[in-house]
Amino acid sequence: MQLLKPARLLMTLVAVTGLAGAPAWADDDPIRIGAIYILSGSAANYGKFAQQGIQLAIDEINQDGGVMGRDLEVITEDSQGKASVAIQAARKLVYQDQADVLMGLDSSGVAQGLVPVMPELKKPLIITHAATPDVTGKLCNAYTYRISNNVAQNMKAAAIIAGETGAKRWTTIGPDYAFGHQSWEFFGKALKEANPDVELMSDTAFPRFGAEDFTPFINGVMAAKPDGVLISVWGGDLVNFVRQANNLGFFEQDMEIMFTVGAATEVLSALGEQMPEGVWLSTRYWYDGFDNDVNKRFVSAYIDRYGVPPSYNAEGAYAAVYAYKKAIESAGSTDGDKLAQTLSGMSLDAPNGTIAFRAGDHQALVGPNWGKSGPMNEKHGIRTLADLRIFDGEKVSRTIEETGCQL
Amino acid sequence: MKQTILLGALLVALIGLVALPWFAPYFYIFIVTEILIMGLFAASFNLVFGYTGMLSFGHAAFFGVGCYATAMTLLHLKWPFLYCLVLSVGAGALLALVIGFFSVRLNEVYFAMLTLAFGMMVFSVAHHWRSVTNGSDGIAGFTLGDFGLGLDLTLGNPAVYYHVVLVFVVVAAAVLYLIGRSSFGMILQAIRQNPERVAFCGLNVRSYRLAAFTLGGAFAGLAGGLMAPFLRVASPEMLHWSTSAEPVLMSILGGTGYFLGPFVGSAMFILLETWITSITQAWMLFLGIVLALMVMFFRRGLLGTFLDWWLERK
Amino acid sequence: MSGFGAALLNSLDIGLLLFVIAVGLNIVFGVLNVINFAHGALYMLGAYLAYTLINLVGLSFWPTLLLAPLGVAAVAVLIDRLVLRFIYQRDVADSLLLTFALLLIINESVRSIWGSGIHVVEPPPILQGTVRVFGGPSYPIYSLFVILVGLLLLAGLWYLFNRTRVGRIMRAAALDRDMAEALGINTKRVVTGVFAFGAWLAAVGGAVAAPMRAIDPGMGDKIIIESFIVVVIGGLGSFPGALIGALALGLMHGFGGRYMPEINMLLPFVGMALVLLFKPTGIMGKGATA
Repeated sequence: MQLLKPARLLMTLVAVTGLAGAPAWADDDPIRIGAIYILSGSAANYGKFAQQGIQLAIDEINQDGGVMGRDLEVITEDSQGKASVAIQAARKLVYQDQADVLMGLDSSGVAQGLVPVMPELKKPLIITHAATPDVTGKLCNAYTYRISNNVAQNMKAAAIIAGETGAKRWTTIGPDYAFGHQSWEFFGKALKEANPDVELMSDTAFPRFGAEDFTPFINGVMAAKPDGVLISVWGGDLVNFVRQANNLGFFEQDMEIMFTVGAATEVLSALGEQMPEGVWLSTRYWYDGFDNDVNKRFVSAYIDRYGVPPSYNAEGAYAAVYAYKKAIESAGSTDGDKLAQTLSGMSLDAPNGTIAFRAGDHQALVGPNWGKSGPMNEKHGIRTLADLRIFDGEKVSRTIEETGCQL
Repeated sequence: MKQTILLGALLVALIGLVALPWFAPYFYIFIVTEILIMGLFAASFNLVFGYTGMLSFGHAAFFGVGCYATAMTLLHLKWPFLYCLVLSVGAGALLALVIGFFSVRLNEVYFAMLTLAFGMMVFSVAHHWRSVTNGSDGIAGFTLGDFGLGLDLTLGNPAVYYHVVLVFVVVAAAVLYLIGRSSFGMILQAIRQNPERVAFCGLNVRSYRLAAFTLGGAFAGLAGGLMAPFLRVASPEMLHWSTSAEPVLMSILGGTGYFLGPFVGSAMFILLETWITSITQAWMLFLGIVLALMVMFFRRGLLGTFLDWWLERK
Repeated sequence: MSGFGAALLNSLDIGLLLFVIAVGLNIVFGVLNVINFAHGALYMLGAYLAYTLINLVGLSFWPTLLLAPLGVAAVAVLIDRLVLRFIYQRDVADSLLLTFALLLIINESVRSIWGSGIHVVEPPPILQGTVRVFGGPSYPIYSLFVILVGLLLLAGLWYLFNRTRVGRIMRAAALDRDMAEALGINTKRVVTGVFAFGAWLAAVGGAVAAPMRAIDPGMGDKIIIESFIVVVIGGLGSFPGALIGALALGLMHGFGGRYMPEINMLLPFVGMALVLLFKPTGIMGKGATA
């Protein structure tokens, strides 16, 4: 071994100082939105839809004169579905790219990691997809908001439907991380409260996120002969799961089947006819479930531009951009603290109706959309949703006390 | 003469590093913090690989265990940070002692595969033992309290934390360097070049390999402990084989033949990643090409190739 | 069919698919002394080419099954000539590093060519649906087809290795590289041929897997570690070892996922470590020094 090698330190320094010139800030500079989504791996399509939703909103707003005379601009970073990567990305967006506001997050694990860091970054964050109740619950803070519904809201609605089916013995198949476990926990609690005589089976299946082969788990559930199965597998995993379940005759069994994020158009378009008819599918937002002007304009503009109907992730991202527009205009500033205060209690006309961020926990009171998979929509190559039910956000949300949030 | 130039350059660099928070924007403090921690991780790996000649594919186990140790003690026991780090070093060393005890008897590809298997076992345990490790979501939401020793440091301030990291990494690097220069280090290098000859000299090769492996684990544990408050999360992917690949890549990029090679590799890796991902999403493609060229033509790494050329020049 | 029977068939179809992939890895290691980290990426490339030929070009399943692996073999020829030839004389560690670089390159290229979304290939009509096996509940026809392909390749490889000159030389070379050198088989053309053949096997696995797995840019990384486990358990460089290792891992998945989901992920690595500790050359490995 040779002596110490200092060249690297020099190189680093040169590099650092050379690049250190922060962009000069001026009033006609664009307002920067930092977005963090999954852009790689088997859930990458969710990030793509979100990016499309953001771009559509930004282009609409900029054509209309921008926000306080300034254009909007987005910088998107890949979270890779990992909390550590997302935290680094958030720091880069805030400190390097000078982002004024943050939005995004697809995964509960990522949200649980990033949200506690938000008070250091001092910028508002609107979560548009990640569903763990904790980030608008015991982990809540002044800077964190969520525009999409959470597991607690969705599972409350799921339990109402499950109660109506009359099925008594329930089990679950879900990804082996916060989302899968919390879905089952909240579903079970809500179901038991309403119907004390249901049985929550101990025979559950939690394959790891990204598992290739779900056959053993599917066989296991079929052998246990439940009356109903709650399935919270999502993304590329869900595509794999449904195809393998089809092969094994899973959907021909006499069971109630509920997919907690089954009506994501990302998944429906990959599956096409392989998604069976007559199973319960949920989504945070279903594109033809809302008869209002905002939604009509959004859906037709989206289909015109991208050729496919918007997914819930596209809608959440689109709505979040408009939420920031409104907040910046009413605050008259892009200051992080001021914006975070303005968002609290603010309401907004989004494609899925008029929604408001509740002041006590910063959760938007939006209800999930549940429906039964219907005949194919041949034009878009996806299943339609029959018997669509739009739940009332107020009715399925926890009380502030229940959330455990202290702001 | 050249020694003096090198020492001088090192000194200038060190002064620059100490002064960094006073002239560089926040973002670069984060970048350099990461470079320092990952550099230490890579240097701990290079003690095993570059010095002793054992290609481990499970080195992330020690890094990750160090990270979990600090994250969990901060979360549950709220110890002063210094004590957490001591625990991380101990955890990394202990795990390396156990895994090394079984692994160092094997050579080459079998050693690589066995360390991969052990590393992935640790990963699987962290992934599945939800009641303790919180499964794949990992340990997050811990807060930094005191440093310890009665020092009044606001660790939550990135500039302060950067200086803490800098002190630990410089001291650890100095210790690693001295280990490399000691007679013990010389024996390790002899083992890499010709284990049979070392054995003929009456030395127990396996014990030396185990000692190197354990030391590598201890320093990787320290790097992991420093990483936890920086990332604000300890998650199973830090134990995954793809994390084990990072110090391998860094060592190769910088050069395994010089002590500071892994640090140069870490700087190259992280700076390139930061710049290239801001231009294109195809960072992995770029990394792959650079790595391939390095392995094919510049096996001594960037620093190694440069110094070989410069030191031999009249 | 009982849960046991389902798990057994499941183990077989996972195991035989893994065998097809891992035996390619093993042949390349055995003859060339290269541990191909990019083997999983070549498997993925096979699946993507199958997707392209079927869904975008409009070819039917059967010609695709022939063409996609040949396409990947052609890519492998390029890789061998342009990249790997630099490191054949070096340490096996260098081959791990260089093929790891290839893995990064292929993964990212796939992502930029086909996008990061999920793609799906339908099985041909004749292989869709389920049949009853042993009089019990139904089992997917396609999984039975995978088992059949695995068995056919197994027979074909056995014939190649035991009944043909080329195969016997390859097998000999795998077990004793010095002798192979003495026989003068390490000519450029043989080296290229062997590497392309290994890639072809990986791609056959990918093309066969395409109709039952979601095709996405992460699918190669998942399979490569499994393949490592298979070849280590069976014995690096050993042909019957690849079969035994693959079936062992298939059983761990088929039954572990069903009956011991908690330790399902841990089990293969424990198995791998135990084999390395007690018989580092693998269950079927012969004599090679550790």
